[in-house]
Amino acid sequence: MSAAEKVTLAMGAGGKQTSELIERVFAQRFASPLLTADDAAVLDAPHGKMAMSTDGFIVSPSFFAGGNIGKLSICGTVNDLACMGARPLYLTCAFVIEEGYPLDKLEQIADAMAATAAEVGVTLVAGDTKVAGRGQVDGVFITTTGVGELVEGAAPEGSKAAPGDAIIVTGDVGRHGCTILLERDDFGIEADVTSDCAPLWASVEAMFDVTHDVHVIRDATRGGVGTVLYEIAGQSDVGVVLDAAAIPVDPAVGGVCRMLGLEPLYLACEGRLVIIAPKDVAPAIVEALRACPYSAGAAIIGEVTAERPGWVVLNTEIGTQTLLPQPTGELLPRIC
Amino acid sequence: MSDATRLTPAQILASYDGRPLRIMEVCGTHTHEIFRLGIRKMFPAQVELISGPGCPVCVTPVGFIDEAIWLAEHGATITTFGDLVRVPGTSGSLATARAAGARVQVVYSPLDAVDYAREHTDEQVVFLSVGFETTVPASCLAAKQALDEGLTNFSLLTANKTMPNAYAALRDSADVFLYPGHVHAIIGTALCEDLVAQGVSGVLAGFTAKELVTALAVAVAKGATGEPFFVNAYPRVVRPEGTPQAVALIDELMEPCDTEWRGLGVIPQSGLKLRDKFAAVDARRVFNMPAIEGRANPACRCGEILRGSCKPSDCPLFGRVCTPQHPVGACMVSGEGACSAYYQYGGDML
Repeated sequence: MSAAEKVTLAMGAGGKQTSELIERVFAQRFASPLLTADDAAVLDAPHGKMAMSTDGFIVSPSFFAGGNIGKLSICGTVNDLACMGARPLYLTCAFVIEEGYPLDKLEQIADAMAATAAEVGVTLVAGDTKVAGRGQVDGVFITTTGVGELVEGAAPEGSKAAPGDAIIVTGDVGRHGCTILLERDDFGIEADVTSDCAPLWASVEAMFDVTHDVHVIRDATRGGVGTVLYEIAGQSDVGVVLDAAAIPVDPAVGGVCRMLGLEPLYLACEGRLVIIAPKDVAPAIVEALRACPYSAGAAIIGEVTAERPGWVVLNTEIGTQTLLPQPTGELLPRIC
Repeated sequence: MSDATRLTPAQILASYDGRPLRIMEVCGTHTHEIFRLGIRKMFPAQVELISGPGCPVCVTPVGFIDEAIWLAEHGATITTFGDLVRVPGTSGSLATARAAGARVQVVYSPLDAVDYAREHTDEQVVFLSVGFETTVPASCLAAKQALDEGLTNFSLLTANKTMPNAYAALRDSADVFLYPGHVHAIIGTALCEDLVAQGVSGVLAGFTAKELVTALAVAVAKGATGEPFFVNAYPRVVRPEGTPQAVALIDELMEPCDTEWRGLGVIPQSGLKLRDKFAAVDARRVFNMPAIEGRANPACRCGEILRGSCKPSDCPLFGRVCTPQHPVGACMVSGEGACSAYYQYGGDML
């Protein structure tokens, strides 16, 4: 397929050209016995309880250092399921593509989706393709929906953080948000930063092999780790105290943040979990996480307290205590 | 070596037991970092840290916002740093003007505004030039570039301020000034030396935790004596002669003028305006703008806060009707404003 070929409105009209588009771009890449050629996939039910999640992806630009919207669309839903303690089983995906979008880029997106899904062991079972007129959608938007099977005995919830728990992050914070910010080139800054976009089921599974005594798991996407911690502090009615020096931040991300006056804790991640678990099991969790490629930088960054419920406090590098300012909403639109 | 010389800067701050001291930081970035790092808690009670008028957005008077809105209503495209968009004028802000149809573009540099003008030759593009000696050179460069390229649709609305006469106006508000590192990186340190002769003390401070705490330790150690002094505690960036090229650029395009500072009133010769030779890039002259006088919300105490005579939490609006999401006063808009920093970092909660 030559690079000049573009998506046309006819390819989304449901006729022969739609079939050709699906055949050429999606069907081979997503091929599996479960992938439906009919109106709906017919699947075996999970053994126990199941989790289900859906997410829309509109990131701009759709290709960035460390991934593209296709990889992101698989990671986002896989990670949402993983946060509930659910092994991802099935995914569906729906595309809205702008007329004129290059077919080779669409193929790269589909390649990334297939590769990420295969890595996780989740099966794409159904899809939908629509084409919108030029200017009615920006490039390509993807929605994925996932079904997962709950690991027995694990029931993490945002309201379960308890005083004395340790707070763990699975790696350095703020890389995805920083990557997108640099890709947009509004500030004329160049830095070597790659998105942390990654599927995290393997990390969660490794943790559950060590213990099921995990109180909260959250993926720190829009709003970053800081927003997630404020949400948990509110839901669980507890305080959070972080050790600023223990929070992993890539030096390049830290440099960009200092230049622009941004707080890395409020920059989006796409491959980082916040995990809250009893202090005595936390070191074993960190050890298990560090053995997995996407959570090799896991670290304990603080603890849950009974004091100052609803607030996140930082022990600073100079030995003082200060408040982490409350989240004010995503700094950048269309981050994921 | 005496015991005192072996103390760390943090220990010097914590163990200070001398006369009461008021230390005023005159830089919005210092204000923000002092709050972010919790530095206020390192001092004993007799040392008071006051946030002075060092945030460009905060000292910009209401009338300037009114002028910008007037320009937008008279067909100009306003280009500005993002902070200014939400600063309330007498009635409404640039944000409300934009919602009503005005063209307001956020840019990250004055040169971006020139780029915009080049790409939109059918629009009259005005850049809001606020800030101190640190940001004026960039505005001057933008104006020169527009003139060099022959663009006839770019001009500056100036509200630039300079520090020398502001220090004189503020001299009774503090015992020691924490001088803004980046301003003096441009203008050098001669002024600080001159101020010593007038009885004004100060320390030039950098922006990292170590630099700030060190500068503050110098401020209390030297301030304890009551003798006027000046120390450059940011020598890795500030040279005594400053940056002569930047000073020359400012001088080429601009000349001193009287200017209004929010909260401080008019300080003689503390502002900069474009020289007559550069009338073609002076928005006030390009648009033949009438004199516009602004009126601040009478309940807002930003003025007293900027002079250090009251704390943000003393203002009846603070945290109730005036928040970073819905600012009434300029000090709540900018991340570097005293009210915003006080609010974001929980005031006296910790």
